[in-house]
Parts: sequence; C-alpha cells; structure tokens
Amino acid sequence: MIDELELLKKDWQKKEEHLPKLSYEEIHNMLWKKSSSIVKWILIISILEFTLPHLLYLVPSFQDNMEIYDKLGLHNYIIGLTIFTYGVAFYFILQFYRRYKEISVLDSSKNLMRKIIRTRTTVKHYIIYSLSMIMVIVVMMIIGVYFDDDIFSSFSQLQDKAESISAEKIKISIMIAMAVMGVVLTALMAGIYFLLYGLLLRKLKRNYNELKQLEV
Amino acid sequence: MNKKLEHQFVTELENNQNIVHKVCTLYTNDRDSHKDLFQEITIQLWKAYPKFRGESKFSTWMYRVALNTAITLYRKSKKRIQTQDYESVIFKITADEYDPLEEQQLQLMYKAVKQLGDIEKALVFLYLEDKDYREIAETLGITEVNARVKMNRIKNKLRTILNP
Repeated sequence: MIDELELLKKDWQKKEEHLPKLSYEEIHNMLWKKSSSIVKWILIISILEFTLPHLLYLVPSFQDNMEIYDKLGLHNYIIGLTIFTYGVAFYFILQFYRRYKEISVLDSSKNLMRKIIRTRTTVKHYIIYSLSMIMVIVVMMIIGVYFDDDIFSSFSQLQDKAESISAEKIKISIMIAMAVMGVVLTALMAGIYFLLYGLLLRKLKRNYNELKQLEV
Repeated sequence: MNKKLEHQFVTELENNQNIVHKVCTLYTNDRDSHKDLFQEITIQLWKAYPKFRGESKFSTWMYRVALNTAITLYRKSKKRIQTQDYESVIFKITADEYDPLEEQQLQLMYKAVKQLGDIEKALVFLYLEDKDYREIAETLGITEVNARVKMNRIKNKLRTILNP
C-alpha cells in the first residue's frame, strides 16, 4: 500500500500557485487592526472580574447594608475583613499579571496552552475565594442576628410586626432567610461563572489534553 | 515602532505569505474566516517581531506563530456557511498532469485531512511542509518519539476515513 500522505505531500507543494496573494498595502493595513485573540479576551474578562465586585460598594443600596453591619455590631469585623480582602485581591492581581506576562506566542504550542490555562486558573481561584468570602459574611451576619438583643431596631422595617410575633421567631426566620439567600446567590454566581469559563476555554483545554495525553 | 522595522516586516511577510495562507486553508472553511485568521496571525507575528532576532529563518519562526494562533489564540467569530468556490482553492485541479483517478484520491485525502482535530492538522501540516520530526516535536512541545507515534495514528485514522 502506498503512503497516501506521500502522495498528498507532492501535490501540496504544487498547490502554492493557487493560494491567494495579498499585496504589500493589504498586509500593511492589517498591522493596525485590533487583535481578537483569546488572550486578549481573558485579560478583559479578568479585569472585569477583579473590578466589578468592588464597584458594588458604590451602589447606594449596598451602602445601606453597611448600616446593618453597624447595627448588628459587626462594624469592626467588616473593616478588618475589608482590609484583608483588598490585600488578597492585590495578591491575586499581582499573580495574574506575572502569569499573563509569561504568555508568549513564540512558545511551543503545549507551553503556550499551559500558561494560558495557568493564568486563567489564577482568576478561577480568586472567584472561588470571593464566593467563599460572601459565605463568610453571610455566616457572620447570621451569628450577628443570633446575638442581637434588639432585633427590631436593627431591622426597622419589622417594627410594626413587633407586637404580633415574638423576637425569637423573627430571629430564626431572618437567619434561615439569610442562609438560604446566601447559598442560592453563591451557587447561582458560581454556576454562571463556571459556565462562561468552560465555554471560553473548551477548545483550548481539549487541544491541551490531546497534547498531554501523548506524554503518558 | 519605527518605519524601517515596519517595512522590513511587511516585506518578509509578503514574501512568505504562502505559509500563512496554507494554515488558514487548513483551519477555516470559508473566505471570510480565512481572511480573519490571516489577519490575526499577521497581528501576532507583528507583535512578536521585535523578539525575532534572526537566529532562525523568518519562515521557520512564522510556522510556530501561525500554528499557535490557529490552534490556541484564534476564536472563530461566527459559524458561516461553507461556500463552494472556497473549496476549490485547496482542491484545485492541476491541469497539466490530470489523472482522474489520482485526482479523485487527492480530493478525498484533502477532505479527510480537513476532518481531523486541531492538533492532528498541525502535525499533518508540518509533515506536508517537509519538516522533520524534531522540528514538529519542538513546535508542538512534545517529544520526537511521541510526534512519530501520533503521526502513525493519524495515518491510520486517515486510512479509516478513506476506506470506511
């Protein structure tokens, strides 16, 4: 049996004359076009992921939330937590930047893919950390409610119900509502995030695994 | 970037553009995508050009950037309908030595190659370009032995596609 690829190889070399030809000007114009590479998308999406949660603090309703923390006696904890959060965010951004800088189109295909995945994993860890932080805050608030001796003044909306329902019942209801909301919200955010993340890197991961499998 | 570098780069690329066109033909299915990918490869080449020190030939260096862009960096913008006239670029009949049987076999081969995965296409492409296994292995980041093993598997796969 003759090697079909050898036959193809001979023909392949002859094909050159049928290929399109671009002029100097056409190529020159391309130099200034915007790249739409996956690395650029990763950078844009990651910057959004790092900044968006912090922009939330500028929303008025979020500032109202800060009052609740005060009333629940969590003020100092929240300040401490915020300083910690910024420290960690800064660490992740630094890590991301270092790995992003390492990505080079001149690397071998396998290395290039590995470095892109590594850069992206940094952001993934940051997201996992952020989502766990939301859970920590929810738990802190639940504990705050539990130890709150004057629940009706913390949640002013509930004032008119003070007579009909006991404080104990209200506390338990609020704690359950917070726990459910916290879990649902985190799960929803995680779901959306990992879906997007998976879609963006699906092709890359498939190709990377194909190259990696060869080494086994 | 200074004008001289720009001129040098465009001239080199103009002279070696066949390499990029061939990669585009393998990895895209219509004229617009071909142009899209060509443009992305050009941008990546230009961005990396200051790091090109002339240690290797410009064309050797191009293979790596072009393939990396096609396999890893390029994101298809839209799914388009394959147009008939585009097909003819790669399947064009070389009129002077027309052998119907051989021609038919070649056409089937090209179609089979187009059905391969991204990595497999890269190996076939470098093979068709007459690169040795050392260079194929280096470009993809695998060992030479594994490049050979993979290539044999691809040959078998092509055989199965051709003789189902």
